[in-house]
Amino acid sequence: MDSLIPFTTSGSLVDCVDRKMLVVLRDGRKLQGVLRSYDQFANLVLEDTVERIYHQDVFAELKRGLFLIRGENVVLLGEIDLDQEDDVPLRQVDWAVLEPYHRQEIIDKKHRDEAKAQILYERKGFCKEGGEGDGY
Amino acid sequence: MLPLSLLNAAQNKPMLVELKNGETFNGHLVNCDNFMNITLREVYQTNPEGDRFWKLKECYIRGSTIKYLRVPDPLLDLVKDEQTRAREAGRSARGGPGGGRGTYTNHVVWANTLTRFCYLRQRGATKRARCGAWWANTWRERAWTWRLKTTLYTSCVVRISSSSCGSSFCL
Repeated sequence: MDSLIPFTTSGSLVDCVDRKMLVVLRDGRKLQGVLRSYDQFANLVLEDTVERIYHQDVFAELKRGLFLIRGENVVLLGEIDLDQEDDVPLRQVDWAVLEPYHRQEIIDKKHRDEAKAQILYERKGFCKEGGEGDGY
Repeated sequence: MLPLSLLNAAQNKPMLVELKNGETFNGHLVNCDNFMNITLREVYQTNPEGDRFWKLKECYIRGSTIKYLRVPDPLLDLVKDEQTRAREAGRSARGGPGGGRGTYTNHVVWANTLTRFCYLRQRGATKRARCGAWWANTWRERAWTWRLKTTLYTSCVVRISSSSCGSSFCL
């Protein structure tokens, strides 16, 4: 077993404070910022947040500032390695250029997921999502 | 500082609230509670597509519907400064045990404690000296007390003046 995650107290975010973190929200947004504080609901305070959108081998960034994110909307939190964060094999472009492509991608994904859910429901009896509309 | 305390400190500040359904509310925070329920005033509401707008004088948003809140960047530093200022004010205000006259500074507290300490020692000494050599003992006690008071007071005054303000003189 490679990673032996040491358990200090119960799982907490104390080791993530004051570090640059990637937060993925349930609507599919990817935010990067410095985690300043959290609480028992995993509500997060993110400073100097940047929102990034991706499309194929291109990405775009938009500065967003100080965020208070309600914990239930967070999918995951990941620490960003400051040494490697600039090594991404992607090209940066302007937000305004990439945004239409990103929006179209979201619409396409939504159609695909709906079609999938419908087929699973009809053929296999899987229940459809209760309108949470998770976009990630 | 906790996320909800940041929110509490953001009262009267402008902010953007996005709900789970994508609607955005731009307004000034009036009040908030532990459930993240908030009331805003002078609100500009936008629909999820971003093409319809409403202006509301006031609105109430249930905390469970909130996705996130965006607040002005300087707010974090502002709140941290306020917290440190409040902590220092609380510390110096707490320094006067009983009969606070004027401003209680740290060396007044020290002097009070030293006096009390010397008095108690003197009381103990006088009790012991009640049998035999009473005068000599109390005189010695008085001399010791005076010496102790002076040395300790001057040494702590030196310490206070050399160290920075707000150093922890916990008693």
